[in-house]
Amino acid sequence: MKVMLVDDEQKFAQMLAKRLALRGIQADVYFSGEKALESVQQGNRFDVAVLDVKMPGIGGIELKRSLQALDEQMKFAFLTGHGSKMDYEAGSHEAENYLPKPLQIDVLIETLNRLVGGPPGASDIDG
Amino acid sequence: MDNAKDWFGYDSLAFFGKVNASISHELKNVMAIISETAGLLGDLSEMARGGKPIDPEMLTSSTDSIVEEIQRGFSTIRQMNRFAHSVDTPVLSVDLMDILDLVRNLFEYLSFAGKTNLHTGEGTAAMAQTCPFILQAIIYQAVVQTFQHAGPGAQLDISVQSKNESTWQILLDGVSLKDGEVFPDDRITRMALSIGVSISYDRGSDRLAIDVPVSIGFVKGNGAAG
Repeated sequence: MKVMLVDDEQKFAQMLAKRLALRGIQADVYFSGEKALESVQQGNRFDVAVLDVKMPGIGGIELKRSLQALDEQMKFAFLTGHGSKMDYEAGSHEAENYLPKPLQIDVLIETLNRLVGGPPGASDIDG
Repeated sequence: MDNAKDWFGYDSLAFFGKVNASISHELKNVMAIISETAGLLGDLSEMARGGKPIDPEMLTSSTDSIVEEIQRGFSTIRQMNRFAHSVDTPVLSVDLMDILDLVRNLFEYLSFAGKTNLHTGEGTAAMAQTCPFILQAIIYQAVVQTFQHAGPGAQLDISVQSKNESTWQILLDGVSLKDGEVFPDDRITRMALSIGVSISYDRGSDRLAIDVPVSIGFVKGNGAAG
């Protein structure tokens, strides 16, 4: 599974990518929607994009639409530090996979596996 | 100043809420990083227990990261505390540079904020008897509108100068508004009038001038009296 991780909180994204790497999941990190979009436009392909909803410039919801136009197969999950799930869904119908910060790594892995049709769970550390 | 507390109406409350929302977002990001870093340390511990080699550098960088984020959190809480206490006394004698410094710190928590340069003036401190909370709200809104329009690449220069014996002038250079957008709008105009402040925007030079009386001396029809 190849994951695109987009979050303007650089340290958060880097830490998360390290934790995914320990579990055998490759996550390429981008710190802005613009850079992520550029990467896919240049031909990079990902199974799942995990997008921060609120970023300067292109936010997660807008980025999803742009990425989907480039790659119809890509799946999406969203990160947000705002409000409750109910609040968030009230403001957007895009958030079918909502992951509030702080994250639970097992929940993220389960979400990723569900999105790509893999086995549930499977978050053991590879080392 | 019997009616001074009437200034803190809904417009002020909306500003207070907006700032607190941005601060809570900042703190949540701090907590999220600490949480992920602690999670990584837990992962490394689990690996070590299983007899797998771990990179000591990962331990060092993780603990350093936690210390940095705790400092960032404390710094944010300090600004939150300054802001919370800015409503303690409706009118008081303040150094305008202190107000500008606080406002600059507050809008740095906005995800779309660009760069701001606060230029300290020479000579005596820019002391004014005013309502710091409402003045903060006015400046904050000008900056929000600029960065919402111009984005995080924008740059603002902020300074204070003496306009005349009775007026300080806060200058914001680089203020950029959308076509058709006005500043101040009715809401900000009401707030400005309530503390005797006048605002003028020159679209040609992208300069916003906020004239602040050295001493608040009048307010008509806005709930406050001199």
